[in-house]
Amino acid sequence: MINKIKRWLPWAALIIALAAVPKVFGIYYMNFFITFAVFAVFSVSLNLLLGYTGLLSFGHAMYFGAGGYGTALALKYIWHLPLLPALSIGVLSAILLAMIVCPLVVRVGGTAFAMMHMAFAQLLYVIALKSRFITGGEDGLANFPIPPFSIPGVVSFTMEGAPSNFYFFAIIVLGASLWLMWFLTKTPFGQIQVGIRDNAKRIDYMGFKVTHAKAVVYIVSAAFAGVAGSVYAMFQNVVSPDGYLGLLVSFTPIINTMLGGIASFFGPVWGTAIYALIEEVIFRFTDRVELVVGIIFVLVIMYAPLGFSGLMLKLKFKWLMFKNKKMRQAV
Amino acid sequence: MNNILETKGLYHDFDGLQVLFDVNLQIREGECHAVIGPNGAGKTTLFNVITGTYKPSKGQVFFKGREITGMQPCDLCRLGIGRSFQITTTFSRLTTFQNLRMGILSKKGVRFNFFKRVDKMEEITRETDDLLRRINLMGERNFPVSALSYGKHRALEISLAMSTDPDLVLLDEFAAGMSRDETHNAVELIKKMTEGKTVVLIEHDMDVVFSLADRITVLHRGQILAVGTPQEIRQNQEVKDAYLGDLEVNAAC
Repeated sequence: MINKIKRWLPWAALIIALAAVPKVFGIYYMNFFITFAVFAVFSVSLNLLLGYTGLLSFGHAMYFGAGGYGTALALKYIWHLPLLPALSIGVLSAILLAMIVCPLVVRVGGTAFAMMHMAFAQLLYVIALKSRFITGGEDGLANFPIPPFSIPGVVSFTMEGAPSNFYFFAIIVLGASLWLMWFLTKTPFGQIQVGIRDNAKRIDYMGFKVTHAKAVVYIVSAAFAGVAGSVYAMFQNVVSPDGYLGLLVSFTPIINTMLGGIASFFGPVWGTAIYALIEEVIFRFTDRVELVVGIIFVLVIMYAPLGFSGLMLKLKFKWLMFKNKKMRQAV
Repeated sequence: MNNILETKGLYHDFDGLQVLFDVNLQIREGECHAVIGPNGAGKTTLFNVITGTYKPSKGQVFFKGREITGMQPCDLCRLGIGRSFQITTTFSRLTTFQNLRMGILSKKGVRFNFFKRVDKMEEITRETDDLLRRINLMGERNFPVSALSYGKHRALEISLAMSTDPDLVLLDEFAAGMSRDETHNAVELIKKMTEGKTVVLIEHDMDVVFSLADRITVLHRGQILAVGTPQEIRQNQEVKDAYLGDLEVNAAC
């Protein structure tokens, strides 16, 4: 019983802390936190490919953008579309895009996989840029209505003009996404995933279909990138090619993941937090944020290739060794 | 006696380099069959063609009377063929337990399961632990595989091939690079693990071959030179000329 309480206590504390954010910190940090949560989910979805399956994508923004544009277009052109269907349309468009691309990309790996994604993402970027009548071109889409969250006859929360309502909606959706992805890595299928990363040949010879498994991971990863993009579009109330489909958007989750550590599930979450904090601090001194982030990135690659969570693990190991030594000396 | 595995007129070439010429291999059910031959004779290629790594350029492969020519490795595994590799092919960043669990999952047909945590599948965990105990790797249960000693790593490689409980196991030079003791342990392990199974092995260590094999096929320049019991092979003049030489081979080991 005590053990159970102990196990759930941190989670309860986390939920209370999250619920208290709007009251305690006010709107600026609330928005800061939503942005953080969006990019945390986006980065973790990339890490499903990079850290768990061993596939590096230079164009994960295409799914983020598909989610964002899908939701924005749906809200703009479909009259009185409720909130959850709008979210679903964003996610489904990311899934659809992934299903179109995956028969091609699951057959390759390494550099070909990475570069192919860069090409596809740039293709999508140009399409969004050029089809001005639908996507608004360079200006993107803005000021589409954000419908209230409502279960007919039960509840209805308005989203426009009530930032804390949107905050709760976003946190619940993104938190659930994180949990679902975490759960996936713990299932037998998650085992096949890491098996493919370590040795695809052996997985094949053990009776698992490698390409099928890769395709499933790929679509799941795309879906959650779509969730992140969709929520971000509703949060910002604007989508644009540069903000959703550009190269920088593809590289942000890679940088987050490398900073936080590809070897752990929550590494990208740490990485996103670190990146956001670094950005926040550096902005007070200089506009050249990328310069400083770049230097930090190089240092991380050189001295802590497993990122923040790898560093923590190392420290923990050192601490245990230290304690062990002390105990032995005492004896 | 039934042939569990049979190849008929198997040819294979790599972009014009002929490696296999008209290989007609017959493996009887339940036997331990060794394929020997000098380097470059085409032994590993023969394995690769049988297990689906390559498609043969000509000829057919039959498993339990069913044609399996050119089938994917994963499908062959589901039919009941397991294989170990000359170059150790394990999941290096997973633990010994997780490595073997992969095989048990495959054996139980748990593949695309998204709804249950694998740690909470007690039957899978229990069977994996049983397997670990049988192969004497219980002490290394939670070690990452990259931390295992060479001999233990090879033992794991062999066990991975057998973890899916196949009827036919193909072992490609399992004793390569092993010390005398490690080889001895590996031979014991194979004897223990393959009871009632058919084994085909490639091996250079003649002591191992003569202590394990019921029958031997000698492959030379992509062709079958001789087939027979160890006794017959040892006395075959052609084999002596091509491979064994005139050294007295001591089988009592």
